[in-house]
Amino acid sequence: MNDTAIKTTELSHSYGPKAALKGLNLSVGEGEIFGLLGHNGAGKTTAVSLLTTLIPPTEGTATILGLDIHADADEVRRTIGYLPENVQFYGNLTLLENLRFFARLSGLDKPDARIREVLEFLDFTGHESERLSTFSKGMRQRVGIAQSILHNPKVLFLDEPTSGLDPQGVRNLREIILNLNRHFGMTIFMNTHLLAEVTQTCTSIGVLREGELVYQDSLAATLTAFPDEASLEDIYLHIEARPER
Amino acid sequence: MPQVLLAVFVGMVTASSVIGWLTNQVVTSVYDRTFAAGLTTQPNPFSAVSPLYYAKNTVIYIILIGALLAIVLGVQSTIRDRKAHTFDLVLSRPVRPASYLGAKLAGLLCWVAGILALSALISWTSISAIVGSVLSPGDTARLLGFYALAWLFLLPFIILGMLTGVYSRRETTALLVPIVIWSVVTFVVPQLGTAAHPVSLLNPVPAIASQGGVFQLANLVLGPLSLTEHFKQASAFVLGDTATTGSPLLSLVVMVAFAGCMLVVLLTTQRDRMRSPLDE
Ligand SMILES: Nc1ncnc2c1ncn2[C@@H]1O[C@H](COP(=O)(O)OP(=O)(O)O)[C@@H](O)[C@H]1O
Ligand SMILES: [Mg+2]
Repeated sequence: MNDTAIKTTELSHSYGPKAALKGLNLSVGEGEIFGLLGHNGAGKTTAVSLLTTLIPPTEGTATILGLDIHADADEVRRTIGYLPENVQFYGNLTLLENLRFFARLSGLDKPDARIREVLEFLDFTGHESERLSTFSKGMRQRVGIAQSILHNPKVLFLDEPTSGLDPQGVRNLREIILNLNRHFGMTIFMNTHLLAEVTQTCTSIGVLREGELVYQDSLAATLTAFPDEASLEDIYLHIEARPER
Repeated sequence: MPQVLLAVFVGMVTASSVIGWLTNQVVTSVYDRTFAAGLTTQPNPFSAVSPLYYAKNTVIYIILIGALLAIVLGVQSTIRDRKAHTFDLVLSRPVRPASYLGAKLAGLLCWVAGILALSALISWTSISAIVGSVLSPGDTARLLGFYALAWLFLLPFIILGMLTGVYSRRETTALLVPIVIWSVVTFVVPQLGTAAHPVSLLNPVPAIASQGGVFQLANLVLGPLSLTEHFKQASAFVLGDTATTGSPLLSLVVMVAFAGCMLVVLLTTQRDRMRSPLDE
């Protein structure tokens, strides 16, 4: 078994009286691509917000590569990359200007060499001085990936990265995610709706229902554990619908 | 919206010099005819005024349009990052909110300094044209000093806008709240102090405080809060207006104190507060 990249213990968060995440116990190994599934409002974004140090836990703890998300918050921030859901970059700045901005935020002092590398990796060469407002949705999402990997993070969090993309965009993004994992060994934690995506990229999955983790296993084990179901979609709907354990 | 306000502001600065010039032209031509007809032996009233007289109305434009422009710029700079979820990304980076907001403010201050530098150039050129000779180094220094004061005066309004942009639940409230505060500071507070001269608030030269006991007390308490009155006071002094009363030093201290307090509030913004949800 690999070393643990992400470990949560009774991790919980409430927005006022509303408990959005209830006692999450989760463990993701280094080098895995973990897919967190769940209906809208299940608490996926809340889980990622906790792990990326945006919000403090109301109860419980979590570590990223052994660093505590509360006590070692700044170290965690240097270790992780993050692409929030629905984030928009600066449309009136060029691609290069946007990436310089986020590189500085991630603590890179002389980022240009690294930016070239990332742009090449993401097939952006030649677009450096174009304004982001002229980019397609698919291109913008790749900009989102670009900013998230500038500082070579070991763990990457992606919140619904394929939402709103056309099939070609979805395919491109899938290849990028797989490459990041295979060539750079990044551990990837992604929230998603798209089950076809999960089958083709993830090594393990978890299912959240109303703030509670109701299932977690490797993808391979999941597919064999439900021989009666034809696809992961059926398995997911089956897990979602079954009564509390 | 900031573009419109910016255009109006630069237009007003230009217009104020042109209006001054037209007044000068009309009065002088009337005077020349009156003098030629032997109806007066008094000197031309305009030959005695300082060239900086023509910049006097700019004080009012700074208070009215400049402050609104500052507020709008401030609000948009932070609310944009909330609407675009950029704050989420920023908060996941190893950056203190104080550094991020401070850097944003620094950028806005540079931008405002640029606008004021442009206005100063317009004022300097048009006044030189009106007077018919290049403005003396002393007067040039006074004009620049006035624009530096204007920059200091606008700083708290930029921060006020940034703060309501961070805290408000709606974009309209984010704009409305600082505008209400601005109008209270500009119109209500000084009126409580001087009471007798409502119209004088639009006068570039500050009103003389009433002598009544209650008003004097109100003046003492509210005086330091009348940021705009202090700006007028300090500006009148810097522009060499002889009609001004009161201490320019006190006014400067009040302006610096306002700027300093707002800066402290901005730089102590908590991480959690930067993610308060926006009703869209
Ligand atoms: N800032 C917030 N304030 C109050 N309630 C929130 C906030 N963010 C999310 N919630 C609530 O918490 C629950 C979980 O939301 P979220 O984590 O966004 O779910 P998901 O990402 O799975 O769709 C939902 O019921 C949502 O309405
Ligand atoms: Mg979500």
